Amino acid sequence: MRPGLICATLLFALAVFLVPSARAATGDVTIEAQLIWGTNEKPDPKLKAAEPKLAAKFKNSPFKWDHYCEMHREKLKLKLNEEKTVTMSPNCVISITSLGDEQVKFKLFGKGKLANTVSQALPKGQLLITGGDAENSTAWFVVLQQVE
Amino acid sequence: MTDEQQLKLQAFLDGELTAGDVRAVEAWLARDSAAAALLSELQHTRSALAGFERPETAGASSTAAAVKCPESREFYWSKIKREIERTTPAAGSAPVRTESLFARLRRTLIPLSAAAVLAIVGLVTLRQYSAGDRAIAVNSMLADAGAFTYRDEAQGMTVVWLSYPAENKFAQKSSGVTLSPK
Repeated sequence: MRPGLICATLLFALAVFLVPSARAATGDVTIEAQLIWGTNEKPDPKLKAAEPKLAAKFKNSPFKWDHYCEMHREKLKLKLNEEKTVTMSPNCVISITSLGDEQVKFKLFGKGKLANTVSQALPKGQLLITGGDAENSTAWFVVLQQVE
Repeated sequence: MTDEQQLKLQAFLDGELTAGDVRAVEAWLARDSAAAALLSELQHTRSALAGFERPETAGASSTAAAVKCPESREFYWSKIKREIERTTPAAGSAPVRTESLFARLRRTLIPLSAAAVLAIVGLVTLRQYSAGDRAIAVNSMLADAGAFTYRDEAQGMTVVWLSYPAENKFAQKSSGVTLSPK
């Protein structure tokens, strides 16, 4: 390989590393929130199945459910210290704040009342899942992850 | 007239000057009668001595060498100096370095890429450290007393499980839609 090509490749790699770091340093993040329903019964075919990668993560976890359906999905672009609220279902509202350095604060409201608050670093590839029991031995999950 | 000018005149007579210097001396002779007179004297001396000075050869005797008109030290060194000046190209006519754009670019890129390697290594290390720190930085303020937090490093996920009433209908798409197939 020619030296010039090697140099150019290295500089490109540096840019690839620097751009996300610079974005993270500014506090700008894009968070994808998904409302997932977990059940052991075969779900209604009209419901959208959760992404295989996410379903695999659930199945490799202590959760017992056989099927996971994606009920709702939202993508939130957040600037530093910006808080955005989104309704995931009629009874589930979430609020996300970017705290900078890929840290987020997540608030979950159930039927209008604050149910939980979590602050956590959420680098790309990491998931923050909040869940609980639902009717008929099923479960709900709010899955947060950072995306482009 | 300075010694330097006299030596230059002698060099002119001996044909040791460059074309530019020859033109300069000719112009000088045209306007300076003293210089013209000296040149004339030098020419006479030269013609008078012609025939007495024989070339020194390998087999020449010491007598022949003695006949040769000795050069002064100043003139000897001035000849060397002029010869050096004649053979050394002028600063203005120095050859231009023909370096290709690629070569210049490469010369710039090599130190830059070395810096890039260091920066990448630093960033990767920093990311590993910071990711490790952040992975455990979970702060959960639970309104629900029965809730717990579970961290799975292998899966890269944090789970907060709430003991929220099961009839919460969180996952319900909209009112009236029953998720359960039953």
